Amino acid sequence: MLEFNNSTPLTLGVELELMIVNRRDYNLTRGSDDLLLLIDRQPHGYDIKPEITQSMIEIGTAIHTHCSEMLQELQAIRQLLTHNAEKLNLGLAGGGAHPFQHWSEQQIYPKARYQLVSELYGYLAKQFTVYGQHIHIGCPDGDSAIRLGHYLARYIPHFIALSASSPFYQGMDTRFQTSRLTSVNAFPLSGCMPCVENWAQFNDYFQDMAKLGIVASMKDFYWDIRPKPEYGTVEIRICDTPLDIVTPTLLAAYAQMLARQCMEQQWRDIDPAHYLTYSYNRFQACRFGFDGVLVNSSTGQQTSVQEDLLTTLNQLQQHATALGCEAELAALRARVLKRQSDSQWLRDVYQDSGSLSDVVRRQSNYWMHDQPD
Amino acid sequence: MPHFPWQSIALNPLAAFGILLTLGVIGGHIANRMARLPAMTGYALIGLIIGPASLHILNEELLRAADLFVNLALGLALFESGRRVDLRWLRAERTLLLSTLAYCLLVFAALYTLLCYAGLNWQTSTTMAAIGMATSPIVILELMREERAEGQVSDRLATATALSSLLSLLAFAVSLGSAHLLQQHRTTDNLLTPAWLILGSSLLGLLAGVLAIALKRWLGHQRQHRTVLLFGLITLLVGLAVMLDTLPSLALLVFGLATRNLRGGESISEPDLLTGSHFFFVAFFVAAGAWLQPQALASHWALALAYLLLRSGIAMLFWFALAPANCLTRRRGLWLGLALNPLSGGSAMLLSMGSLALGTQASSATACLMAVLVISELAGPWLCRLALQQAGKLSKEY
Repeated sequence: MLEFNNSTPLTLGVELELMIVNRRDYNLTRGSDDLLLLIDRQPHGYDIKPEITQSMIEIGTAIHTHCSEMLQELQAIRQLLTHNAEKLNLGLAGGGAHPFQHWSEQQIYPKARYQLVSELYGYLAKQFTVYGQHIHIGCPDGDSAIRLGHYLARYIPHFIALSASSPFYQGMDTRFQTSRLTSVNAFPLSGCMPCVENWAQFNDYFQDMAKLGIVASMKDFYWDIRPKPEYGTVEIRICDTPLDIVTPTLLAAYAQMLARQCMEQQWRDIDPAHYLTYSYNRFQACRFGFDGVLVNSSTGQQTSVQEDLLTTLNQLQQHATALGCEAELAALRARVLKRQSDSQWLRDVYQDSGSLSDVVRRQSNYWMHDQPD
Repeated sequence: MPHFPWQSIALNPLAAFGILLTLGVIGGHIANRMARLPAMTGYALIGLIIGPASLHILNEELLRAADLFVNLALGLALFESGRRVDLRWLRAERTLLLSTLAYCLLVFAALYTLLCYAGLNWQTSTTMAAIGMATSPIVILELMREERAEGQVSDRLATATALSSLLSLLAFAVSLGSAHLLQQHRTTDNLLTPAWLILGSSLLGLLAGVLAIALKRWLGHQRQHRTVLLFGLITLLVGLAVMLDTLPSLALLVFGLATRNLRGGESISEPDLLTGSHFFFVAFFVAAGAWLQPQALASHWALALAYLLLRSGIAMLFWFALAPANCLTRRRGLWLGLALNPLSGGSAMLLSMGSLALGTQASSATACLMAVLVISELAGPWLCRLALQQAGKLSKEY
């Protein structure tokens, strides 16, 4: 039986998975151990931990009610990481996937869980060297978490378009705005949560899967959105790690406003029919970003991701005011109007230099020093 | 009686080079797979067996015909080694810079004292102590590639190797100047010789760096052209440095350093030059083995052994002591010190440059260095690989 630890509604936290690159050719490097050792020499109190392969590191914020506090914390973590990474001649970078690494060269972090994943999934585990942002939103109870999970599923293409930052993969331009999700799709337990209506039904589903020996914990689900009972949150896992330190807080603000809308409206329209177009819309956003075409499963109406996003942002004004994140809402609107995406920025850099090493070098400067050029 | 070609058969340079490469690869494979030795030890052993000192399949003349490839290999390695010196990193991590400087000075002082104690005059001692400061870039880079070594030990090893080579060349140039002084050349010569060697080589390297970056910009996205361009510039630089009586090694190190640190040069060697240069490296190691003269051990084994042990001992103790300041555990510091063991394969060439200035002690110095090289070429790569393995920096599959 999974216990859902209730938390304060609409509180926020984010986790960012970051690339560790060498500063010679800007390929991924096995630097997580050295970096963590150095960081842990000084007391810091931040959540910084290894990830599945040794060229990844994950940072997590504390629980926040407002995105501006979250930004301050992220900046402090970045300062700590940057200072230590520079001592080790390592680069840190955002982005959903490294542009030219070869998955076969990656090494699984020596931790029991990751070794089990590697045993089970073989090469998929190494291909999972991709970098995402996870957003946690506090929920008062398990039933709310299930409702919020289903509610947010409709907005998944928005999060994809806003965060897309992995156009290059294994040395090629994939022509996708985000190629990262293709790696996630390969896992058998990826996609979306089953259409359960409340926490009790979710628990039954989990118990059935556990009895069949398919899962042992919630970590075995690689869904785009999943409840996180131990934190008392819903976790959005669809976003690429953005290239800068501000965008993660904008995405978190967007999730917070949507969650408030869901809770205020007491939304309960859980219907398997809504999921008819889930994968298609998700693909459209991955492939075309703001230019993707979304299909409404109820009305059959088609709109562009950009148009749908702008409409949604306009509807969120009152929630932005209530949550004190009007600046974030305005910043999001400006980005959507300009179709500003990290993927396009990466392509522009590549166009300019013709070198994927240069792309990662500038990616790294962007994340570590706020220097996009 | 008719005369058939095979009755007076003699290898031409092409056939000799073919033998050098083919047997080298076979030797490397046997060393690696059967004896668990680094491939380059196998190349050197094969060279030793087929070279003038043993079976004499390759004589001095044929080996000189392979000099083009040997010099190119050395040039590529030195260029790539120079590219491992990231001045931005050294600004952020001054401890590494200062540690390497202190380490080199300590090795120099210790070797100088040993050699003087062994009866060599101060010019010869200075020259050989200068040579002993450097770790071989080609061995380090090739081992790191072969073993896919990554992490702090290998990063610091690559930087310390490049810096030690740089310092060694500077010290060598100065010691040549001082040797001139003893030979009672004019005072202007005493100043001009090291100045020309250092400044001329550095200027050549810097100019090559600026030219490479400008041409890279002009070539745009043509990656293959950029690679050929770099090969061309490296070859040209080796040739020019020899023509102008400067130090090719110093010029190439500065060339690599300039392209790494000047704006626009960061991605100049993409894809990595080393991955396409294995062919040259095999030739280099086989030729280096073939030039070895194991008979030098008979007369100089004790001094050679003391020279190498002192050098390794200082390196291990020094990096062990300074490990925490260099963001390493003590154990890793110890292995970093051992990994710095391989002596530069270009040492013999350097010493031959200085032989005139060393006068009567030149032959003694050459024999001593040869004895050192016989041990170092065969044991150095193995010790270095052992150190990298022990430092826990090699591939571990899970």
